[in-house]
Order: sequence, then structure tokens, then C-alpha cells
Amino acid sequence: MMGRYRGDVSPEAASQISMMEPLARAFERSVPPDPKDGGLFGPHSVVWRVHRDRSFSLAAIRSLMIQALHPLAMAGVAQHSNWQRDPFGRLAATAGYVLTVTYGDTAAAEGAAARVRAVHTHVRGTDTVTGLPYHADDPNLLLWVHAGMVDSIVHIVRRYGRSLDAADADRYVAEMARFAEIIGVPATRVPASVAALREYLESVELRQVTPAAAEAIAIVLDPPGLDDDTRELWHDLGQVAIGTLPDWARSMYGFIEPLPHLMEREPVRQLIGALDFAYESFPGVLEARERIELRMRA
Amino acid sequence: MSTARRRSPVLQSRLSRSAALARLALRIGGRYLARSPRLIFASVERRGELRHELALRTADDVAEELGSMKGALMKLGQMASYIDEDMPPTFRAAMARLQHNAPPMSPALASSVIADELGDVPERIFARWDPLPFAAASIGQVHRAITLDGRAVAVKVQYPGIARTITSDVRNVALLRRVAAAAFPGLDTRSLIDELGERLREEVDYRLEAENQELFARYYEGHPVIRVPHVVGELSTARVLTGELVVGTRFDDVLQWNQRERNLAAETINRFVSRSLYRLHAFNGDPHPGNYLFHGQGRVSFLDFGLTKHFSDEDLAPLADAVRFLVIENDGDGFRASIERAGFLRPGAPVPTDVVVDRFGLFYATVLRDAPMTITPAYASAIVRRFFDSRGPLAPYSDVPRAYVVLQRINLGLYAVLGSLNATANWRRIAEEIWPFVNAPPSTPIGEAEARWERERKGQELSLDRSA
Repeated sequence: MMGRYRGDVSPEAASQISMMEPLARAFERSVPPDPKDGGLFGPHSVVWRVHRDRSFSLAAIRSLMIQALHPLAMAGVAQHSNWQRDPFGRLAATAGYVLTVTYGDTAAAEGAAARVRAVHTHVRGTDTVTGLPYHADDPNLLLWVHAGMVDSIVHIVRRYGRSLDAADADRYVAEMARFAEIIGVPATRVPASVAALREYLESVELRQVTPAAAEAIAIVLDPPGLDDDTRELWHDLGQVAIGTLPDWARSMYGFIEPLPHLMEREPVRQLIGALDFAYESFPGVLEARERIELRMRA
Repeated sequence: MSTARRRSPVLQSRLSRSAALARLALRIGGRYLARSPRLIFASVERRGELRHELALRTADDVAEELGSMKGALMKLGQMASYIDEDMPPTFRAAMARLQHNAPPMSPALASSVIADELGDVPERIFARWDPLPFAAASIGQVHRAITLDGRAVAVKVQYPGIARTITSDVRNVALLRRVAAAAFPGLDTRSLIDELGERLREEVDYRLEAENQELFARYYEGHPVIRVPHVVGELSTARVLTGELVVGTRFDDVLQWNQRERNLAAETINRFVSRSLYRLHAFNGDPHPGNYLFHGQGRVSFLDFGLTKHFSDEDLAPLADAVRFLVIENDGDGFRASIERAGFLRPGAPVPTDVVVDRFGLFYATVLRDAPMTITPAYASAIVRRFFDSRGPLAPYSDVPRAYVVLQRINLGLYAVLGSLNATANWRRIAEEIWPFVNAPPSTPIGEAEARWERERKGQELSLDRSA
């Protein structure tokens, strides 16, 4: 999901505002008050239900950790983006894309995808570690990024979010094929169940921690510009994300598995809830959530 | 290390925090107020303000909305708002913006709580049951009902599962401390969080509230102008609180009454506050206009005893001394010693006593002189400003000890209410009737009636004592 386009917020501006503010604005903008239709998935889809989960921040961190393990996906980001200077602005752009494709009407979703595809055509080069050429249009890379995200969302929401049973988790993965398709992955290639998704991720040969990936994840785990208290909360979240990684990914990074009590559902939900509480304090967030809820109930 | 860095002159991070915090404060304050029991006995038509279309339908919905620290943080924000000078100005706007954010339980979910707690569905427990709540409460909502023996009651129903999750949240002190430190820099969050834990543990158990409400109801039984609805014990549990339904005029409408009526209402509220504190040694710490219902000629009903503070003789003694030294004996040194003893002012602060008297004296302005005085909105806001004054000469040496946090809320809330009523009275004379160290004779018609009531009360107690 990284590397779609350059962040447009200067680091100076970014540090003046809270890390959550761009996320909040992206969320507010992504949920239209007046949609023309139900969008790609519709209010009764599992995608709608899952994507409003409050554990999304945790899923985002885990997503980035998996996605960065493909050297070519990582190279595209590292060589074509200055995201390190404004990680939260960058995260907000990605979140805005995911949320627009989810909750926007069809025109908004397709427009967002078209803009990202247009940026991707210019993202090409050669990875210095493997020596392989890459192109952001490459369905293989897009599929990897998609799978890393969907696997993370399913895993995190089932473990720490609102109830999502195994059948609905599979339905979610299947519904999300459409999400991959509009960015350029042939629908037939997209795994359509939780098990197939995991199998696919483990089948990809080219998985390793390049220096670019190590650097990127270090920034994700310790982003600049946080005050001390927020940083500690963020560190805790990072530890939980590390604990949720598949063993292969965690050992590639050389992370130590966190103590089991840190990973228990209750304290993790409290941590997520505390961060979400601050997030909800931004104008527009609660209203956007209500718009989603009301449409799901209609 | 963390503290040092926090205080480092990095303006940017300070700015970023205060901007975010202003919004956080807005959200916290507003969200809490929207859910609080202030509107408990609001009229039925105000039901429309509850967001039934967003009703919580399952315990899972409840956990999502109020669990995982959210309920605890809302409460923390509310408490901080009384001791953090940055909060109050944002309050009104926040309330207006967020008033609608209080999703009630769906009728089925509320019914399931009644069934769990009282043993059967509300339609069989009560002769009549209104499935739609008419007011939100901080961790529940309030329904109208008629009991099988024909009494009109208000039934407060707690959100299912909330007691467990709040109890667990409050135990996660480490996380609360960090969040509180991020949200309210410069505040003594340790004592705040201790207080929060205590308050929430009390609040989730409605039996405590029932006990407190009944204490007030019994004490004020037969009072000429003060009324506290009784609890219906057999229909109350830890999660359901059933009390007599009171119907009356709401505060907003009382503001349209003539000044004579408003003065009488204000006198009763003032008497209730003083009497509860000095005679009952207990106080309902929520002097919010929504907790009063008015019936004309000074008669007022007092509702919501979810935040009741009991004062020991030791708590009360320095406060009573402070009043006595300042107002009756005109002894500045004695006054200063009392507030030092209470912990409001650090002993030995390098500030002259006449400055101490002048700064703290504002809080006693209504009782300083034996003459009628009008409590204006301007006076009420001057009190609030002085209370939150972080730049005045006493600021570095003053503090609100934990034992008195509730008392401060009472005071600030009381002045706001009396100020809105623009009430005039000889507050000093009224206070002297109630101060145990003066025990003056009645000074107003309400005072006369109250004195008669008190004689009868004492007579009853004596006869009870004799018969025992």
C-alpha cells in the first residue's frame, strides 16, 4: 500500500499537528454524506463491517510490516517516496484510499483507484539489493501488497476487534478481491479465503528484509514528531503488532516475540480504545462513523 | 528523562499537543455531558433528542461504545474539566455540538437487563413500561414506568457488561496514567486517576447511589420546599435503580419565571447545598441544572445522587473554621491557617496574608456582608476564572486537595446556577441559620418553614429514641 504517491504535507507542517489529524481528515472525507450509490461493496457487505473496526491502526502497522518484506515492493516505496519525513501523512493517504474505496460511491472509488494507477505507471526502477527491476504496475507486487493488508486486517480484527466468525472472515477475503481488481490485479489471481491468502503469502519466494525495509519499519515503530506519552502508547502498539506477525515474518526481522500477557485481548483492546478515543476527539470522526452505522442499518 | 524532554522548549510539539488537546478536551467534555444523568427527568418530548436510530442493540455494541477505556476516559475528562483551566471555555460549544451523541439501548437490550436483574421482562415486572428511554445516564438510561401497586417511577437501567469492562479499565492504571499525562499535561494525574477509580467503582454499583439517594430522601422527608424522591428498594439492584418519578419545570423554563420566583428557587438550592454539607455531612456533587426540577414558590426536587461525597468531621472542620475566621471573626491569620490546614494553600507560601484573604475572599463574597446581594452571571464567571487562575499570586502555592475536589464542583456549579437565576437574597443571613457555629434564627419565610420542619424532625427523632 505504500508508495502510491508522495506525501504532500511538509514535515514542518506535519509536526505542528497531531499525528492523528491527517488520519481523521482522511476518514471524514472518505465517507460521503450524500453517496450516489452503495459503492463497490455496499453497506451490507462484510467489508463495510470490518473496515470500521477500531483496531484498524494495529492492522495498519502489521500490514506495513508484511508488505515491506517484498524487496521490490519496498524498493518502489523507498526510491519514489519521501514518506519517512511524514509517515502519518503518508499513512493517512493510504487510509484515505482504503476508506474511499470502501465507503465512497462507485465513482469515488473508481476515481481514487485511477489516480493511484496513474501514479504507479511512473514508479519503476531497479532494486539495489536483489538487482531486479520493478514496476509498481506489476500485478505480482500489487497482489503482495493486497494480501499483506487483507491478511493483517482479518488477523487483527478477529483477534482484537468486534466479533468476526470464520465464515465471515472468508467472506471478507473473497469480497476484497474487488479491491485488488480495481488497482490492477486480475480477479482470478486473488486468494478468496483466509487459508488461501496465507498460503499465497508463504508461497512467495522473494521475501527478505532489505536495508530499506529495516529502516522503514524502524520509522513505523518509532515515528518522528510524537510527544513522549503518545510515543509510549505507539511503542506498545508496535509491540503488539510484532506479536501478531507470522513466525516467518517476525524471525526475518529478528524481532523477539512479546510476552504473552502483552498480547491478551483485554489490555490490547484498552490500548486501542485509548488511542481511538483521542482519534474520535477530532471533528468529523464520530459523524463519519455515524454515517457508516446508519447506512449499514438502513 | 521523559519529563525533561516534555519540558524542553520544543515549541512545535507543544503547539501540536495543545491543538490536539483542545479537541480532545472538547470531545471528552462534550461526550460525557451528553451521556450524563442530567436530563434524567426531562420531559417526554425530549426523547426525540436521543439517537434511537443509533441504538445499541447488543452487549457487543455497548462494549464498543463505552468499553475499552472509553467510558473511563470520558469520566476522566469530565473530572479534569473541573481542575484544568483549559477545559471550561470549550464546554458549552462541545455540549451543543455533541449533545446528540448518546446512543441509547434498543428496547430489547434494555428489556434483557431488566429480565436479568429483576427476574422477568419489564412488561411483567411493571404495570406499565415505556420501552423507549426518556433520558440518557452516564452508563445507562432512564425509562418511565408504573409499578404494579400504581406508583409512577423512573427506572435507571445500566448498560449490560459495562460494570465489568469499566472495572477492568480502571485497573489498567499504567495505561490510564499515560493517556492522562498525554491528555492533561501539567495535571497531577496520579490523584486524578485514584479519584477516577473510586468514582467509577461507585458509579457502576447503583446500590450505592440508591443508598445515598435514600439517605437524602429520608433526611429531607417532609421538608417544606426541598424534595428528594424515594428509592423503590424492591425494584432496585446493582444495575437497576427505581425511584419515584418527579414531574416539574426544568431549569431552562424557570429562567422565564419572574424574579421573585427565581429568587425563591435560588434560596432553596442554596439552603439545600449548605444544609446537606453542614448538617448531613454529605453532598450530591452534581449541582447541574438538569438535576433540579422546579415546582414554584421555592419548591425544588433534587435528583441524581450518583456522585455523593460524605464528609467527615475532620474534612469539614477546617472549612467551617475558614468561614468562621473570615466572616464572623474577621481574623485573617486564622483564616489563612485554616485553608493551609485544609491543604488549599501550601504553608509558608511567601505571600502576605492580606493577599491570601483578598484572593480567597472572592469565594466567600456572598456571605461577607449582612445585606442582600445579587449573584450575577458576571460574579459566577469571576469565581470560575479565579478558581482556574494559573497566573495569580497564589497560583504556585495553591491546590485542590482530593478530599475537596467534589466540594469545588459543588461550589462552581452552585454559583453558575445561582448566577443564571440572577438571584438576590441576604445569603449571609441564610447561611447563619445553617452554620452550626452560629445557629441563627430564621431570616426568611422559607427559613421559618424550615425551622418548623426541623423542630418536628427533632421531635420525631426524640420520640423514636424514647420508644426504642
